[in-house]
Amino acid sequence: MDGKRRENVQSSEKLEQIFMQVQKPARYTGGELNSVMKDPAKVNIRIAMAFPDLYEIGMSHLGMKLLYGLFNEQEDVWCERVFAPDTDMEALMRANGLKLFGLESRDPVDTFDFLGFTLQYELSFTAILNMLDLAGIPLLSADRGDDCSLVIAGGPCACNPEPIADFIDLFTLGEGEEVNLELFDLYRRHKAAGFQRAAFLREAAQIEGVYVPALYEVRYHENGTVASVTPKDGAPAKVRKRIVLDMDKAYYPDRFVVPFIDIVHDRAMSEIFRGCIRGCRFCQAGFIYRPVREKSAQTINAQSRALCENTGYEEFSLSSLSTSDYTELEQLLPMLLEWAEKEQTNISLPSLRIDGFSEELAARLNVLRRSGLTFAPEAGTQRLRDAINKNLTESEILDTAKKAFSAGWTAVKLYFMMGLPTETMDDIAGIAELAQKIVNCFYHNPNKPKGKGVNVSVSVSCFVPKPFTPFQWEPQDTMEQLVAKQRHLRESVTTKKVSLRWHDAQVSFLEGVLARGDRRLCAVIEEAFRRGCKLDAWSEHFSLQTWLDAFRSKGLDPAFYANRRRDLEEILPWDHLDYGVTKAFLARENRRAHEGKTTPNCRQACSGCGAAQWNGGVCTDERN
Amino acid sequence: MKEIRICFQKAGRARYISHLDLTRAMTRAVRRAGLPIWYTEGFNKHPYLTFAAPLSLGAEGLRESMDLRLTDDIPMRDIVDRLNAVLPEGLTALSAAEPLHKAGELAAARYRLTFTGDLSHMADFLAQNSILAEKRTKKGGVKQIDLKPALQKAACTPEEKGALVMEIFLPCSSAETINPALIVSAYNAFAKERGGVDGAANCRIVRTALYCGEGIPFA
Repeated sequence: MDGKRRENVQSSEKLEQIFMQVQKPARYTGGELNSVMKDPAKVNIRIAMAFPDLYEIGMSHLGMKLLYGLFNEQEDVWCERVFAPDTDMEALMRANGLKLFGLESRDPVDTFDFLGFTLQYELSFTAILNMLDLAGIPLLSADRGDDCSLVIAGGPCACNPEPIADFIDLFTLGEGEEVNLELFDLYRRHKAAGFQRAAFLREAAQIEGVYVPALYEVRYHENGTVASVTPKDGAPAKVRKRIVLDMDKAYYPDRFVVPFIDIVHDRAMSEIFRGCIRGCRFCQAGFIYRPVREKSAQTINAQSRALCENTGYEEFSLSSLSTSDYTELEQLLPMLLEWAEKEQTNISLPSLRIDGFSEELAARLNVLRRSGLTFAPEAGTQRLRDAINKNLTESEILDTAKKAFSAGWTAVKLYFMMGLPTETMDDIAGIAELAQKIVNCFYHNPNKPKGKGVNVSVSVSCFVPKPFTPFQWEPQDTMEQLVAKQRHLRESVTTKKVSLRWHDAQVSFLEGVLARGDRRLCAVIEEAFRRGCKLDAWSEHFSLQTWLDAFRSKGLDPAFYANRRRDLEEILPWDHLDYGVTKAFLARENRRAHEGKTTPNCRQACSGCGAAQWNGGVCTDERN
Repeated sequence: MKEIRICFQKAGRARYISHLDLTRAMTRAVRRAGLPIWYTEGFNKHPYLTFAAPLSLGAEGLRESMDLRLTDDIPMRDIVDRLNAVLPEGLTALSAAEPLHKAGELAAARYRLTFTGDLSHMADFLAQNSILAEKRTKKGGVKQIDLKPALQKAACTPEEKGALVMEIFLPCSSAETINPALIVSAYNAFAKERGGVDGAANCRIVRTALYCGEGIPFA
C-alpha cells in the first residue's frame, strides 16, 4: 500500500471501547474516503466545522462539504468535521470523561483554533450548546479566555443570530467562501503576534460580513421591543452579507467525503445556481440568497463529472432552490447524460417541473422511474397563492398530473402550508378541493393505468414567518388556530384516495419564536439546554413543555415573539444586518400580499429589492 | 465476463464499517477504480459483488474474500493496484485471482482474539464441561450452542499487561457459523456470575484466515 494514506489515528483505548457500544459507530470513527488527514505539526490553523445535528443530517449538507474542501485547500489549515453525538454516544462520552473530538484526528476540539457551527435551522440551537458543553468550552462568549477556541457561526440562521448572540464570538453573514479566508488571514497575524481575543474580535468586525455581537449594545422599550442597537469599538452600524459574484470562478470541491453509513442525501451534488428569481413571500431563502447567480453548463458538467469520478457515487443531483429556473438546463442535461449513461450514474432532479421536457429527454432522465410526482402549490386557492406570490396555477398542476397519469403514474405528492397570512378556512378547504380535482383528473383520464387506483398524498406544514421576508412582521398562527385548521382540513377531505399528513404545530411554534427572537432569548435557550433540550429537531427528543418552563423561569412570553403583529416602524432585532434586500422593499411586498397582488420574478422585471447593489447575476442580465 | 476473487484486508478505522455498508463502500471503490464491473440485468441494475463471509462490525479481517465479475480482461495485478489507489483508509486489496473454490465450500475461519480487562475467571471459564452460549437464529429465535468443542482446541497465550491471546477455529459456513463475539459475551456472563463487573473483559477480534477444510485456505 502506498504511503499517502498512512494511519494517523490518535488511539484512545476508551474511545475504541465506546465505539463498540454505540449504534452506528461509523458516525464517529472518521476515516471515510476523501476525509482529509494532515500533520498537526505542519498546520497553523485547526478548525472543527460543526453541524449541530446527527452525522446523517450534517453529512448531507452541501455547504459544509464546500467549506471543508476549501479550507483544507489552504496548506496551513486543517479543517475537520464534528457532529452532534446521538444520546447513546453522548452518555458514554460523559461517563468516560471524553470531550467532543474532530472526526479526522480524534483530537478534542477545544484544542482547535476555531470551532465553526453551521446554522441551518433554529431547532439546532440547543445542540450547539450541548456540543460546546461536550467540548469543554464555556457556553458564553464573555466567559472565554485568550487560550479558548474561537466559536464562529454562519449559514441561513445567521440572518437573525440574536437568540444565540451570547454563545457565538462572531458570525459570518452570507456566503462563506471569501470571508472565512479573510478571517484566517487576520487570525494568522494575531496568532503570530500573540493572540488576544478581544483585540482579534475588534479587528475582525472590520471585515465585511463579520458580525461580532459583543460589540453591539441592545436596548429595549418597556413593551419588550428593541429600542436601539448601538455599535462600539468602531464596529459598523450595519453589517452587510457577503456573496460570491462569479459562480464559474468560485471554489467548488472536486471530491466529497463519502460516508460509510447511509445518510439522508447520499449522492454527489452539483450546485447550479444561487438565489431564486421567484420571490415567494414566505420563503426566506428566496430573499437572503439574492441575487440569482448561475454557473455555466460547462462548469457544472465538469464539476459533476469530477465529483462522480472521485466519489464513485452512483447518483448525483443538481442543487438549487428551483432547478427548472436554470436557464441552460436544456444544454446541460444532454451533456450530463452523455457520460452518466455510460457510467451507469443516475441523475436526480429535485424540484423540477417535468412538463417542460421533450419526451426523449424525460425518458433518458428516467423521470418515470421515480417514486412519484411532486408539487408544492403551498396554498389551496389561487387567491392565497397570489398573496404569497407562489407562481403555480391550478391548470398547470392539473395538466402535468394528466400527462403523468397517461404515462403510468399513480401517485402525486402535494406540499402545502397552513397559517399563511390572510388565510381563511376557505383556503384550507381549497387544499382538499385541489387534491380532489387531481383524483378526478385521474379517473376522467381515458389513458389512466389499468387496474390501479390513485393516491394523492397531501403534506401540510405550519407557516413560520421568517426575518428578511415580506412576512417578517406577520403574526404566526397560534397552536390552537393551527389545530383548528388541521381539523377543518381533515373534515374537508371526503375520499380515501387523499391521504393527509401535517407537521406538529408545537415544533413550528418554537421555530417561530426562535426565528424572530432577540438577544433576551439567549438566557431561555441556555435554560432549555440545562433542562435537557439538545436535539429539538427530533420529535422523540422535543419537549415544548420544557421550553415553556424555560421561558417562564426567565420571565419571557414566547407568544410575544411568535404571535404578535409587528409594527412596520418597529426596530427588528436583525435590522442592523444587511442582506441586500431593503426593508422598504419587504414592506412593499407585504402590502402587495395583503392586496392580493403578485410580483413578477427577477427575469420578468426588476422589482427593486436592493440586491442590484452588487451589480451582478440576474440583476445585470438582459431581461426577457 | 470473468469471475474475480479479491482477497482484502479490513483493519484500523475500517473495522467499524458494517457488512451492509462495506458492500456499498466496495461498490463505489470499484466504480472509482474504473474497473469494468458487470451489472445485473433487470429493472434495478446494480454491480454484482458478493462476500464470502460477513465480518461483524468492530472485527478486523486480515484475509477477507470478495467476488465480482468484470466484463473485460484486466491483469490481476492492475485490479489490485487500481483498487488500492481508491480504497478508504483501512481497506486494502491484497490479491486478485480466479476463484479456486466455490463460495459454498467455505467451512471455517481462524480468529485471533485478544482479551484485556479482568481475565481472572478465564481458567475456570475454559475448564467448564460445556460452555453454553445463546445464539440468535435467522428466524428471530434463540438457540443454545456449546462453545466447548471449539474452545478446547484453541491456543491461549498470555501477553504483556495481563492480556490473553486466543487463536481459535470456528465454523463459518452456510450451515453453521459461530461469531467469536459469543465467546466474549459468554465469558463476561460467566465472570459476572462469579461476582465480576459488567463487561469484565474487552476483546479485539481479528479474523486471520478463511478455510475450506482443515489446512485448506479458501481461495
